Amino acid sequence: MFFYAWFILILPLLGFIGLSLLGDKIPKKQAGYAGCLTVGLSFLVTLTVLGQLLGLAPEKRLGHVETLYQWVSSGSFKLDLAILIDPLSVFMFLIVTGVGFLIHVYSLEYMKDDPEYSRFFAYLNLFIFSMLLLVAAADFFFLIVGWAFVGLASYLLIGFWKEKTSAVLAARKAFVMNVIGDVGMVIAALMIFQNFNSLSYMDVFSAAPDQFRTNDDTMLMITLLLLVGAFAKSAQIPLHTWLPDAMEGPTPVSALIHAATMVTAGVYLVARCHVLYELAPYTMYFIAGIGAITAIFAGTMGMVQYDIKRVIAYSTMSQLGYMFLAVGIGVFSFGMFHLMTHAFFKALLFLSAGSVIHGMNGEQDIRKMGGLRFAMPLTHITFLVGAVCLAGVPLTSGFFSKEAIIMSSWHAEMGNFVFWGMAVLAAGMTGFYIFRVYFYTFIGKSRSPETHPHESPFIMAAPLLILAFLSLVMGFSAHWVDQFLGPVFGATAHHYEDATLETIAVLAGLGGILTAGVVYMTSQDKLEFAKQALAPVYDLLFNKYYIDEIYDFLIVKPVRAIGAFFEQKVEKEGVDFVVDEVGLQVREISRGISFWQSGNVRTYALSMLVGMVTILFFVVFL
Amino acid sequence: MLTLIVFIPLIAALALLFVAKDNRELIRAVSISAAGLSFLLSLGLLLTFDKSNPGMQFESAVAWVPLLNIQFHVGVDGISLLLLVLTTFLSAIAILYSLKQKKELRNFLALMLALEAGTLGVFVALDTILFYAFWELMLVPTYFLIGLWGEGRRIYATTKFVLFTLVGSLLMLVAIIGITVAHFKATGTLTFDIQTLVHTHIDPASQLWMFLCFFLAFAIKVPVFPFHSWLPHTYVACPIPTLIILTGAMSKTGAYGFLRFCLPLFPEAVAELGHIIATFAAIGIVYGAWIAVAQKDLKALVAYSSISHLGFITLGIFALNNIGVEGSVLQMVNHGIIAAALFLIVGILEERTGTRNLKDFRGLGKSMPILYGTFMLVTLAALGLPGLNGFVGEFLILMGVWTSPLLSNLAVIFVLMAGLAIVFASIYMLYMFQGSMQETNPNDPKDLKDIDRNEFALLLPACVLIVFIGLFPKPFLDRVSPSVSSILTVEKTVNVHIGEDEGHH
Repeated sequence: MFFYAWFILILPLLGFIGLSLLGDKIPKKQAGYAGCLTVGLSFLVTLTVLGQLLGLAPEKRLGHVETLYQWVSSGSFKLDLAILIDPLSVFMFLIVTGVGFLIHVYSLEYMKDDPEYSRFFAYLNLFIFSMLLLVAAADFFFLIVGWAFVGLASYLLIGFWKEKTSAVLAARKAFVMNVIGDVGMVIAALMIFQNFNSLSYMDVFSAAPDQFRTNDDTMLMITLLLLVGAFAKSAQIPLHTWLPDAMEGPTPVSALIHAATMVTAGVYLVARCHVLYELAPYTMYFIAGIGAITAIFAGTMGMVQYDIKRVIAYSTMSQLGYMFLAVGIGVFSFGMFHLMTHAFFKALLFLSAGSVIHGMNGEQDIRKMGGLRFAMPLTHITFLVGAVCLAGVPLTSGFFSKEAIIMSSWHAEMGNFVFWGMAVLAAGMTGFYIFRVYFYTFIGKSRSPETHPHESPFIMAAPLLILAFLSLVMGFSAHWVDQFLGPVFGATAHHYEDATLETIAVLAGLGGILTAGVVYMTSQDKLEFAKQALAPVYDLLFNKYYIDEIYDFLIVKPVRAIGAFFEQKVEKEGVDFVVDEVGLQVREISRGISFWQSGNVRTYALSMLVGMVTILFFVVFL
Repeated sequence: MLTLIVFIPLIAALALLFVAKDNRELIRAVSISAAGLSFLLSLGLLLTFDKSNPGMQFESAVAWVPLLNIQFHVGVDGISLLLLVLTTFLSAIAILYSLKQKKELRNFLALMLALEAGTLGVFVALDTILFYAFWELMLVPTYFLIGLWGEGRRIYATTKFVLFTLVGSLLMLVAIIGITVAHFKATGTLTFDIQTLVHTHIDPASQLWMFLCFFLAFAIKVPVFPFHSWLPHTYVACPIPTLIILTGAMSKTGAYGFLRFCLPLFPEAVAELGHIIATFAAIGIVYGAWIAVAQKDLKALVAYSSISHLGFITLGIFALNNIGVEGSVLQMVNHGIIAAALFLIVGILEERTGTRNLKDFRGLGKSMPILYGTFMLVTLAALGLPGLNGFVGEFLILMGVWTSPLLSNLAVIFVLMAGLAIVFASIYMLYMFQGSMQETNPNDPKDLKDIDRNEFALLLPACVLIVFIGLFPKPFLDRVSPSVSSILTVEKTVNVHIGEDEGHH
């Protein structure tokens, strides 16, 4: 019925293969257009699938598995290469191909001076394909394949400027951290296979509720192991350190991979496996807790950074924390809704930041910016739209999605005032850090008068405008999204109304904005005393809690030391020494019989035969 | 047909000795056609192989030493078929790559062909004595190839290699005779036929020592930790073409031996010692990977990574279930392809820059875009990226280990160790790839040329297979599967009853 949905995946894959094989042979411009075209077509196919899906009764929209071929059959392990079409996967398709297409178009202009233009589009296409595979997979194995492939695409794109050492290192860090996550997921898959004798979602999810009681140890282990992958991909504590460094990649990459799509894969995973997680409420509390902590923790770091992209990166971590909080307290469709609105406004923010960087000729330090509202009026507006959405100013999309989560964090069955308090605190920080950037960048006077910033051309502006529009209006689709995803999660989420709580949350966001205004609009020397008082805290935050240094000390250095120890002591002075000693003795002995090693094959054969006969004679007849 | 595949390289090797040393054209023609023909014939077998038949196919047997009923008996099942094709494939690549060899081309190629023949023989032999003969035949050419054409401490390395292997193979010979004697005592017939011998039930005590003899021979060849000490020296000293066969095909003879001999012949000894061997294999996985992280010499890096990957193969075999063993067989093919491609790349880099030390490399990707792409694909396969061939094998092996009744409680630890090694693999492989190809090189050699058509043609088949096996592992596993089942469920129809043996002679 939905077999043609394979084209959603195949088109970008063809784009990748074509562009990487023919990259140098086709003109630059055409290469870029081809890259956009495949994703655009993929989006159109997704719309068709969506239309057909909506034509079905809600309960019939689930479980359409489309098999391409049998991938393996070994022992009791059988697996098809198949995709699963249901509201959740189609919802993700829409975001990935839709936002992906806009970012492809934006890149046409943004990357136009890069000598490896076609390679860039090849990698972007590879990413879109991988992400679609991740969300379309009908079983845990191809989930892992997609999971690893988005990691690969992310690696390739972070390190796109491969001549730059910092980019190479950041790419490696991201890759290795994600491999840690992959290993967790592989082990989870092994446990799933052991218990269900299948890796297919349909089999596992239908068998799980009968087979396991709530909080069964096995179920807790499986869900926690899956989380290792989810946390690595979605940059949650303690596997988050790669994300800020990932900003070494070109800005469209940050927008697409490290904001709108890939980093949300962890949230998708929890939502997809909600059947398993509902059987493991302890794990869900854990998810909600880590989510809430990350939301605050990332917010604090975001408040003091000066690199415009890094601030937005920390903000992404923090918003992902919200999403995990949502799925952790069981309101899956709110989590997915925030995933969607966040994809719009965060892509918007990144692309606007890219526009700023583009206009400032590559400058990323907000201390050197200022007053850009005159030079870049359009970018100013779109950034502001993104900022108000992120800060949750009423009636923007961010407001609706975040409010839904904050309300549930108190009122939902698994909610409590701690989660609520943390969520509100993070909301306050959000307002602060994003408007700090806004004030620094667009308000006041230019701090580097020698540069002459310019507005970006239309082809970059168009995606900004579309995303700004979506960020503003898509908040009103909350009810529709909930209805659409409802069948997947078994029920629609309950929307709680509580005027008092709502007011507090809104005030927190606005308070953050106001504080940023006060701090960065008043002249700096008046705040000198506060700066001095807060200096130690500031240092701690600015250095990202020294977590990179701690990891270096606790993990990287010992691993190297032990490696060197193995090589020097165990290998050279241990195993080799013993073997050489034995070898020497043997050589001493064999010197006497060295004619055996004449190298003559016939002598060899003869002596083997003689030896054999002799031994045979002894064994048999004596 | 099998006889032909094995003997074409051997005859060509002998024929080469009658060709004038400086007639390089003829030498090349002879060796290419021999290796090529052998490869094409083996491909023919692959296509005509009946995958529903778990037993031996393309069998042929002639009496060799009638007095002792030693036969020249060859045949392949699904497992040996894949390894046979792998060997002819890698040998063809290795011989094509060695055509540039300056020093003593004729003798070099003759020995390479002899090495190929020996390795092929091991995979097809169905008679224990024949197996042993081919096993030793592999050793002789290797000794000279490393000793004469090697580099660095080549004499030390090759002596070490030969002595190590010889110790193992002599013990194996004793066990080979032991089995036949046991069979003779039970039935009164003298035979060295593997298919007959596997049905003999050997008493547990004898099983134990015979198993250990066989095991040692194979464990040294693979090598399984802690018998790996010859490998780094040998690999570093070994010329690249020889290394391709050595790591790609010859190291698989050990793992193949486990499957062909240890598992079906000594089930009780395996049940008793399997978890200990698996423990060593798992230690080797982590140990090799951990040392690889610290390597600067590319050859040594790939050598230690091989110890790690070969540990996976051994671990899968001793999981003793279908998934694990099938995964291991697939991984033998995968490792053969990947390691061969990696060594080729190392060879190409060394040829261009005159060094193998990571410290001296940097930013080569800029002037070598094609190599950059190829190297990246091979790197990703080697670090086990899901979706490429390496991961399929690793995943099946881990699945086999996890569900193995033999390893039960230890499985969790083994899988965690393997997981650690996978993380390390991503570190050292990216180290190798990024360290040589990325960043900028201040003293970028200006005359650095990208790989030419010939070199690309050598790497291309490996790249295609890396992707193909990742996408379609089924055709490979389908051929292996029935044979693995029959090995795991071999029936013991001939029983040795105590006190009965004396009556027979």
